[in-house]
Formats: sequence, C-alpha cells, structure tokens
Amino acid sequence: MTRHRPLTRRRSRRVTLASVAAGAMLLSACASGAAIETAEFADFDAALEAAEGQTVDLWMYGGDEQGNAYVDEELAPAAAELGVTLRRVPVTDTADALNRVLNEQQAGRQDGSVDLVWVNGPTFSTGRQAEAWRCGWTEMLPNMEFTDPEDPLLTDDFGTPVEGCEAPWHKAQFSYFYNSETVAEPPSSLPELLEWAEANPGRFSYPAPPDFTGSVFLREVMISQAGGAEEIPLEFSEENFDEYSPAAIETLEALAPSLWREGATYPRDEQALNQLFNDGQVDIGMTYGPARLTELVDSGALPDSTRIMPVEEGTVGNASFLAIPANAQDAAGAMAVANLAMSPDQQAIKADPEVWGQFTVLDADRLDPEDRTRFEELPSSPVVPDYAELSGNAHPELDFDWVPALDEAWRESVARR
Amino acid sequence: MSRAALLAAPAVLLVVLVLGAALLTALLQSLGLLPLFGDPEFSTAAWTDGGALAESAGVSLYIAATSTLLAVVLGFLIAAYALTAGRGGRLVAALSAATIPIPHLVASGAIGLLLTDAGFLARLFGMPEGFPQLVGTDWWTAAILEFAWKESAFVALVVLGGISRSAAALSETAATLGASARQRILHVILPLARLPLSVAGLVVFVYTFGSYEAPWLLGPVAPEPLSVRAVRLFGSVDLAARPEAMATALTSVGIAVAVIGLAVLGLALLARGSRRRSRRRSGRHSQHPSPLRSSRRSGAGS
Repeated sequence: MTRHRPLTRRRSRRVTLASVAAGAMLLSACASGAAIETAEFADFDAALEAAEGQTVDLWMYGGDEQGNAYVDEELAPAAAELGVTLRRVPVTDTADALNRVLNEQQAGRQDGSVDLVWVNGPTFSTGRQAEAWRCGWTEMLPNMEFTDPEDPLLTDDFGTPVEGCEAPWHKAQFSYFYNSETVAEPPSSLPELLEWAEANPGRFSYPAPPDFTGSVFLREVMISQAGGAEEIPLEFSEENFDEYSPAAIETLEALAPSLWREGATYPRDEQALNQLFNDGQVDIGMTYGPARLTELVDSGALPDSTRIMPVEEGTVGNASFLAIPANAQDAAGAMAVANLAMSPDQQAIKADPEVWGQFTVLDADRLDPEDRTRFEELPSSPVVPDYAELSGNAHPELDFDWVPALDEAWRESVARR
Repeated sequence: MSRAALLAAPAVLLVVLVLGAALLTALLQSLGLLPLFGDPEFSTAAWTDGGALAESAGVSLYIAATSTLLAVVLGFLIAAYALTAGRGGRLVAALSAATIPIPHLVASGAIGLLLTDAGFLARLFGMPEGFPQLVGTDWWTAAILEFAWKESAFVALVVLGGISRSAAALSETAATLGASARQRILHVILPLARLPLSVAGLVVFVYTFGSYEAPWLLGPVAPEPLSVRAVRLFGSVDLAARPEAMATALTSVGIAVAVIGLAVLGLALLARGSRRRSRRRSGRHSQHPSPLRSSRRSGAGS
C-alpha cells in the first residue's frame, strides 16, 4: 500500500539499525511485529465457544454520556448472556486507542489490552497502514445478513475499503444547527451560511482542526468551493490537493475576520463550540452526531430553541464501526460483541432517541416485519428530523488522506493568520 | 559525601536507566529509526521542519518566563506579608498553602469558567460586551494568570519554610529598633529569601515550561507551546507526525535541562561569591584589628 505524504519531507540517506549504538539495538530488537494469523476460527460458532469467559475491553470516546449509558446498561448485560464480560474503556480521542495498540505492537506484545475499538475514518485508515487491525472476520458474523452489502457507507470508510476489518455499528450525518430564537431565517446552503457569517460578524465559528467536526467543515467548504461533491475526486493526490484546497483555504482566510473573536482563535473542539452556542456567543453550531442533539437539548447543554439547519446540497455522511486490533487478547469475545451490537434488537434499542438515538446500519428491507416495525415506531425528536430527511442529497466522505493534509494547510495559513 | 552518593546510587541508576531508555527511544523515533510501521529510514526532517519547532519553543519560553516572574514576585509578597503581619499573615499563608493540592487541570478549568467572555466574572459584572478577552488570547493571559496564582502559593511555601524562623526573629529585632514594614521586607526578608526564591523560581520555570493543561485549555489554537504541539502530533492520525512529536518533546527536555544546568551554575557562583564576600569581610577585620582584640591578643602573648 502506498503512503501519501501530505507534506514534503526531506528524505536523507538510508542508515541501517546496525549503525546505531548497542543500546539502541537492544531497544529496537523488540520492535519487530510478526505477521498475525487473522482467520483462526472456522466459523462463528467456534468463535462464540472461544468467547465464553473472555473479558472484552471496548475502547471508545468517553465524552458522550448517552453512549456510555447505552454500552453499560444495554450492550454489556446482553454480552454477559453470551458469557462475555464487556468492559468500557473511555478515551478522549479514538486515536488514543490506536496509539495504545501501536505502542504495544512496537513493544512486541501479542496479548494486547485493546480488544475492540469504536472507530472510523482517519483512525481506521491509519491503523490499516500500520496493519494494526484484524481483517477478514466480519463475513462470518451472522448479523451481517441484515446489512446491505452494496451500501457504499459500509463498504468504504473514508475511501478506505473496509474489507472485513471492521463491523458496522451506526451511521452519522454531518449537520448544522441554529438557534431559532436569534436566527429568524436560517441559511439553507453552505454558500448561504458563509454569506450569513459575513453579514453577522462574530456570530459564527467552527472547531479548530484536527478536531473531527472542524475537519469535516473544512472538507465541506472545499467541496462547496469546487462546485459540489461530484466535482472533487475522492482519491487524494498532491495534484488534486493543489487544485482544490487553495480555494477552500482562501475562503476560510477571507471569512476569518467575520468569525467569533475575529478569527484570532477558534473553539478547540465540538464541546467548546457547543459551549459558545449555549452561552449565546454564536448562533450556529455543527456536529457529526445529530442524534445526540435531542439529549443535549433535554439536559440543558443546548438551548430549547436549537433546530437542525436544512442544507439543500446535502452534507457528508459516514458510518462508524467496531474494529478488533490484530494483537487483541480476547478477539473471540470481541467478535461476539461486534455481532451482538449489530443485532436488530440492539440496533433498535440504540436508535431510540431516549437511549442513544444513533442511526442504524441495518437495511430495513432485509429485516423481519416485526423488527421493521420496531424501527418504524421509534419516537421522533422535536429537534432532529429522521435519518431519511437528514441524509437527503448526502455525499460520501473523501479519502482519508485529504484529512491530515487539509488540516495542516489550515493550521499553516488560517490559524496563524 | 561519597558514602551518601554510594547509598543513592541504586535509585539514581534506576532513574537514569528508565529515563535514559525512554529518551533514547524518543531520539530514535524522532530520527525515523524506530517507525511504527515500514522500514527504518534515517531522516532529520522532524528537527528541521520549518520554523514551527523554534516558534513553539519561543512561546513556551515566554509563558514560562512570565509565569515564573509573576509567581516569584507574588509568592515573595505573600511570604513577606505572612512574616510581618502577625495573625492576619498566618491566615494568608494558610490560605495560599490550601491552593497547592488543587490539580492544575481543575484550577485551569476553574480559571476558564471564571474568565471566559461569557464566564462567571463577565456575568457577575453584567458586561458581556465590555469584559476583557483573557482566555485564548495571543498573550496567553489566562494561562499565565493560572500559573501565577497556583505557583505563587508554592513559592510562598518554600520561602516561608526556608526562612521563617530566622526571618521572624530578625524582623522583630529590626522592628524594635524602629524599622518600618517596608524596610524590614527590603533589608531583612529579601536578602534572606534570595536563595529559596531562586530555587523555587527554577522549579516553577521548569514546571510551567513543560506543563500542558493550562496552555491547552486556556490558550489560543495557534501558535502552540512545545507541550501542546507534542501531544497533538503524538495523537495525530498521520503516523508520519510521530517523529515530529518526539523531536518536539526532546526539544522541551533539552531546554529544561539547559535551564537547570545554567541555574545550578548560577547558584553555585552566587554562593561562592557570598562566601568570598564574607571571607573578605572577616579578612578586613583581621587586618585592622580592633583595639579590644589586639589588646586581648597582646595579653595572650604576654
């Protein structure tokens, strides 16, 4: 697999490890990771049998109270019925989980402490480059039959083919929201949003990349400047980057003086932007997890007047997944949990806005009529329209390599303006 | 002395081994010799990547120097007040000592809630528009204030612990001889506190130089101090950023070690200078013996 380097880095002469001091040799001797056998279970029943008594450590973003509650109160008890203990390990960023895996691999540990990771996009691709994920195991999960094998959101994750290296968990749709008390007529497209920001100085901002949400906004601006999602090739290359990124960066540079604090600084992450929104300092927010808005409004973290902003040209959507590190100690248990998490029962519980409100990855046409009605009868939210409406005109994510390249370009020019 | 060194050797050896191995690994990673995947390939690109590293070092030095200066001045004032103001002083000392166990993360969060544009103070004064911007500014105001507040308590504690016994007696004597509070602070307490102040200042400088929470929570997004840059690059999804993260962390270690070295050298010179001064003073006395002494000496000689 070729690796794209977004920045030109000077490459110097090759030096073998032998030329480094003896102490260095000692240290690096344990750094070589052996190839790992990924298909050790004949079928899912064999995996289930091996899973009994295992303790699965699920590493996931810990800042989402509803997500934590769902895993602790719904998924973990269901896993216990299979004889698997599910332990949630909260992290501030999914990259932390990958870092742990890579560090353990570098140290030569084959009994890794990470068994399952809630992952998508950049972290998944990075892990694939480093061969950190176990692959080819999702085909044998019985519940995969309820998903659409042709669904582009499930076959590619930010342009990286999934290839059985992660099991789908739920879908997400990038969305903007606004305060209906202070904004009478919300913008209805991204260009209109940028115009609105210029007409209302100081009332708009976006999280600073590399925050996930801020990064998405950057890509949406680039897509919009190029004239739509069809205009930009999904694949990353230096030429594509040089062709399409400057317009986006220039737009954001020109926009900066109209932003909150005149663009001298930016909220650090989505939470910081929500804080500004709730304090009434900005009128428009954004999120890749619109399903969470219902609960954020209910808990008072966002004002009651929060509404989703409709976007004519559509926004970007993706799916997030559960991946098993190649050196996971309790891989069989992890597979059992991944299959369980994909079951119509768990997916319906999770899709309930009262529980977590995450959009299902299952294909309604493949479900039993009974299960289908469960999804159809889910309570609707006053804040968030349903997935079909949200994902109208949706476009797929660009390749992962666009992400760090664009983030870095933004940091170099817009952030240090 | 050598016996003490021998006794400490096992612990020191262990620390040096662990720390040394970690630093060596970081160095190898920064030079591309211990990649997370693929073949090792020597490259100094992480060290010469534009001026970003130097800029980050500059920001870190600015934050650390300003916070240290403020903390030392404030800490000395607290200590001086505690030593000269009787019961009220003891109360101030106790209050300032009480802030020490608060973790910097909590303190930074509190300062953030207090000072943001729509924070507690802005609401208290009912001035959402006119409240000065302190959090996330180019001057790192909120982060520096957080350090100054927390670390001044530490400085005060060190100074009080170092000199309270001798200073209390001396300043009482000075007071009975008619010295004003200002004179007591400047001519009794300050000279005594010089050494504890320098040592505490060094500790504060090195701590704030490497500290992460306050600059991350309370500073602007760019430019970044070394600590924030290192953590961001270490957690980056771009694995090619790992060498840069290590180079950043090592720069931070290098500067801190250099500052400690310079400070120890400076303190040693200071100590030798004051010894020499006091020796010269006693030498002067022996060259011009007082009549009393000479008579006693002559008396002893006879």
